[in-house]
Amino acid sequence: MNFSFSAEEQELLEEVRSFLKTETSEALFTECEELGHIYGGKEGRKFIKKFASHGWLTPNWPPEYGGLGTSATLAFAVREEMAYVGTPLVFVAAHMAGPTIMHFGSQEMKDKWLLPIARGEIEFCLGYTEPQAGSDLAALNIRAVDKGDCFLLNGQKTFNTHAHVADYHWLGTITDPDAKKYRGMSLMIVDLKSPGIDIRPMVTMAGWQTNEVFYDDVAVPKENLVGDLNAGFFYVMHALDYERMFPLATYGSLVDEVAEYARTTTVDGEPLAKNPMVRQKLAQMKIELAANRHLYYRLAHILDHGQVPNYQASMQKLFATEVAQRIANTGMEVLGMFSQLTKDSKWAALAGKTERFYRTSVVETIYAGTSEVQRSIIALRGLELPRK
Amino acid sequence: MNYEMNEEQRIIKESANRFLAEVCSTEFVREMSEDEKGFTPEFWNKMAELGWMGLPFPEELGGAGMSFFDLAIILTEMGYFCVPGPFFSTVVLGGLTVLEAGNDEQKTRILSELAVGNRILTLAWLEEGGTWSPEGIQLRAESKDGRFALSGTKLFVPDAHVADTIIVAARTGDAPREISLFEVDAKAPGVGITLLDSFGGDKLCEVVFDNVEVPTENLLGEAGGAWPVLNNTLLKAAVGKAAQMDGASQRALKFAVDYVKERVQFGKLIGTFQAVQFHCADMLTYADTIHFMTSHAAWKIAEGLPFEEEASMCKAWVSEAHRKLVGLSHQVLGGVAFMEEHDLQLYFRRAKAAELAFGDASFHRERVAQAMGL
Repeated sequence: MNFSFSAEEQELLEEVRSFLKTETSEALFTECEELGHIYGGKEGRKFIKKFASHGWLTPNWPPEYGGLGTSATLAFAVREEMAYVGTPLVFVAAHMAGPTIMHFGSQEMKDKWLLPIARGEIEFCLGYTEPQAGSDLAALNIRAVDKGDCFLLNGQKTFNTHAHVADYHWLGTITDPDAKKYRGMSLMIVDLKSPGIDIRPMVTMAGWQTNEVFYDDVAVPKENLVGDLNAGFFYVMHALDYERMFPLATYGSLVDEVAEYARTTTVDGEPLAKNPMVRQKLAQMKIELAANRHLYYRLAHILDHGQVPNYQASMQKLFATEVAQRIANTGMEVLGMFSQLTKDSKWAALAGKTERFYRTSVVETIYAGTSEVQRSIIALRGLELPRK
Repeated sequence: MNYEMNEEQRIIKESANRFLAEVCSTEFVREMSEDEKGFTPEFWNKMAELGWMGLPFPEELGGAGMSFFDLAIILTEMGYFCVPGPFFSTVVLGGLTVLEAGNDEQKTRILSELAVGNRILTLAWLEEGGTWSPEGIQLRAESKDGRFALSGTKLFVPDAHVADTIIVAARTGDAPREISLFEVDAKAPGVGITLLDSFGGDKLCEVVFDNVEVPTENLLGEAGGAWPVLNNTLLKAAVGKAAQMDGASQRALKFAVDYVKERVQFGKLIGTFQAVQFHCADMLTYADTIHFMTSHAAWKIAEGLPFEEEASMCKAWVSEAHRKLVGLSHQVLGGVAFMEEHDLQLYFRRAKAAELAFGDASFHRERVAQAMGL
């Protein structure tokens, strides 16, 4: 075992760190907060295109597709740095669609999509969930009918978070309604500007927007089918194993800020940091962050050994998101009455961060597979418990 | 980064596992819990023949020159099988302390005997205060006529009743950290050893020192300068305990997983019930994080890197996660494992004892808080 980065990785990370220090702006951070850290906003695109020009958006991709051919470990480390600073963090194209295209797409598809993705020029929107198909993804209704020269799409998606800022839909759709469960779904790439698409906002309790997307006779070119027809469920499961990688450094930065607050705030004549409860709670968060970091880098290790994470990805997602909620709650506890003030309040502490994290953290254990789904996967795949 | 053991480490692990599976059944573990000594010379000598006692010590001192990480692998397997006897006391508490504090003569003499299984050691630290702080050490060593005289009572000294040598942490001055270490013959006049009745399955002793005379050359390291050594021993022992808990977690998880794959209720294997599956998933998550936190800390020690923070994070996390894992195993196994004859109770007892040993979670969280600058 070895728990340090290589000298090469260290060096590259230093460059990334100094870039993140000098090239970020308040406007970028504000937009990120408003969008919930998804990629696609104006400031985000400006920043990420510059960032990606160094190959850092997809460092572990091969150079011919715009990467640097580094380890996955390095890619994971870069993502941690981005999370800590507060840049856009949720990339559908670079982290989910791209790897799937690389594994399962045709040569034409790779040539067309991978370079623009690596350069940060385009962003996708995940199009899986429907009103009747949440955790049960195989219950999709949306239909794509083969019209010879194109597919014609009709139906509805919901909770599609990037739809209002992304360029393309990474869409799961039924292509064979008579097939057995899991065997009649295909993945396709749909231009979100296509006629017949209607995107309607759904505002979350965290303040940022997700969307429902309606499809009314939307034509999709045949070459936008990803991989084989009716193999979509397999690809989606594969892509989910990539999606379930959760750099917790956003919450790690909150722990550091709350610790700094405790050091510099006096309560009842004593620094808050002298309070044994505060010390215990913040230390526990530090420890849980460290435990998560191992589950996180184990995924990179698996990828660097030519495999795809499986139950290990579920475990990391489960653990990280539960830690995220505990961190948010701990932040509220340490700041006490002041933790509930929003950033516009005159008396707000840490610019209202704790209440915002507290609200946002609710969805962490729900999206990309609920904690219950993850626990099922760990039990069934990781421990091979019986299905019936 | 690399999250897998290398070939050599895997071989150590597998051969230790094979050996212990053969010689350390849970019947033997139970027998040894009842036995006053707590181990048999045959079992001890077999481990010595494998070179386990000398594993982390330099070759020129009769050891195998292997790393703390390798030692942690052996300790993990020992935890899996609940290995009885004074291995931990001798090698981790005694041996590593002598290696760090002793002069050449002391190291050569003590460790070369230790390495072949001919000397059992332990470390006498805690007292009535029950804390791992330097202030908790009140036993006095008074210097007179070129000798030291030790008077006081040590508590929770593991395996003192079978030890040849007791390393004693004693106070040689009034400043909080004025602590010294002494090599004391367990049979010396004035040493009184009594086994404590405790629930954990290990052998903890009260050791009374009644004006015990110790020659000056038995001082290990500088007079009054032992605290940094003791602190290192504490942290290494904490990580060693975590390694044992790592192995024990694997066994407790296996009990549960094997059971839910064969136990039928309501006409179904109980492993098909989500409530049961979720408990098992949480156990595996605890087991994996226990393993990585422990491996990280052991690796830091082995590499000669600063390890204070990792060691404390490790012991804080593992102490609680392991207890919770064993608790979930009990819940999944139901009434069956509440029976004395089920082996899970051996792990339940040791989990709590291991949690308390060398600083519990709160103790080490406080250390982490200090490292965070709080």
